[in-house]
Amino acid sequence: MFLALLASLEFGPETGEVSADTALMKNLLRQDVNAFEQLYDRHSRIVYSMVLRILQQAATAEEVVQDVFLQLWRNAAAYDAGRGPFVPWLLTLARNRALDHLRLKSERQRRREDQTDELPPVASAPEYERELDERRRIELVRSLMGGLLPRQKRAIELAYFEGLSHSEIAEKLKEPLGTVKSWIRNGLLRLKEGLQTAS
Amino acid sequence: MTNGDQFRELIEAYALGAVDPQERASLEAHLAEGCADCAKALDEARWLVSQLAYLAPDAKPSDMLRGRLLQTVRAEARAAKSAKPAATISFWMWGAVAALLLFTLYTSWETIQVRKTIDATNEQIRIEIAKRHELEENFALAQRQAAILTDPHSVKIPMPTDSKGMPKLEAMWHAKLGLVVAGQNLPIPSGNRTLQLWLIPKTPGAKPIPSMTLRPDAGGKFMLLVANPPDSMEVTKALAITEEPAGGSPQPTTKPIWVGAIS
Repeated sequence: MFLALLASLEFGPETGEVSADTALMKNLLRQDVNAFEQLYDRHSRIVYSMVLRILQQAATAEEVVQDVFLQLWRNAAAYDAGRGPFVPWLLTLARNRALDHLRLKSERQRRREDQTDELPPVASAPEYERELDERRRIELVRSLMGGLLPRQKRAIELAYFEGLSHSEIAEKLKEPLGTVKSWIRNGLLRLKEGLQTAS
Repeated sequence: MTNGDQFRELIEAYALGAVDPQERASLEAHLAEGCADCAKALDEARWLVSQLAYLAPDAKPSDMLRGRLLQTVRAEARAAKSAKPAATISFWMWGAVAALLLFTLYTSWETIQVRKTIDATNEQIRIEIAKRHELEENFALAQRQAAILTDPHSVKIPMPTDSKGMPKLEAMWHAKLGLVVAGQNLPIPSGNRTLQLWLIPKTPGAKPIPSMTLRPDAGGKFMLLVANPPDSMEVTKALAITEEPAGGSPQPTTKPIWVGAIS
């Protein structure tokens, strides 16, 4: 089934998504409102989806998304296009903001408090990365993660969407710490291998 | 397992934010040591973790959020644009200040130049006026000399000399217009010395009365006008001219060169 899905995906020549984002970010440096509008329309949906998944409240999620895009508008120079693609950086920025919001509310985790005001580093795309449109990327990632054990996938989601540590996840799932560590590492490596295979 | 392998196993979980504080601290210390392999792996792991966002159920933000954001962004863009002309105005203001300063310097320089020109012109006018006054005085003197020389009431007084090679002088004395002594081809007195006129009183034993001094001009011409002689013709016995130091003397210091008796 997975191979069939891969076969159904069209990995054609580069779509220009990355270069389009790069061009828009350059225009954003000149405070081009149209560039901002296009970036928002291109990426606000995935950003909001992810933030809402973390915060579980639409009003709070919109507040965070608003903060993220205003930060983008006011500090466009923080993104270095030479170091990596735009969307992963934007998603990391939004996730950090959402998790910070979550922690402020719960005061449960403090280990990353010193990072709250920092912008995330720009991660360079791996060699196997190919440009996909958002719909295809969603299908691929969900398919790859769907191939994991349900509790393994759950452990990764708890880490990503709730910001829990290995220990907290182990406690929550009532699993040994070593098992949780292996699930998360192996699950991420499976995702990586799947993305590599797809490219 | 090497030390690097041990940290390598933490990279993905670290990028995910799932490592416990102690592991996190040890990995960050390892990265700080400059492990290039782990840094590259972390870079790739960050990208990989970002892909997990696509697991989130699809949701669409409200149109109100889009509207609010665009309203804010447009307002900030307008504010930024309106700030730019301020910078431009500031630039032009600086330009205007510089131009004003240059203009002030130029006008100050120009004023100084005009003042210099006015001063020079005033000086020239003063000189011209002085020359005019001198000419007028000379003209008046010349008129007076002419009047004395031509008036029939003037008394002619020949002034011969005993000195060899010296020309004869002649004086004309008018009771009201004054006294003129004239001659030509006179030698120029040496140094600063000058010729001085004396009035010799009729009163026996009286000292000569000093009068004006004059040097002949470069051509040897001598024309001395005494508008107000120190004494009258009636009480004067004779006129005499001696050579004296510049400025004249209160009493003759040399023997008279020319003497003319008044008959």
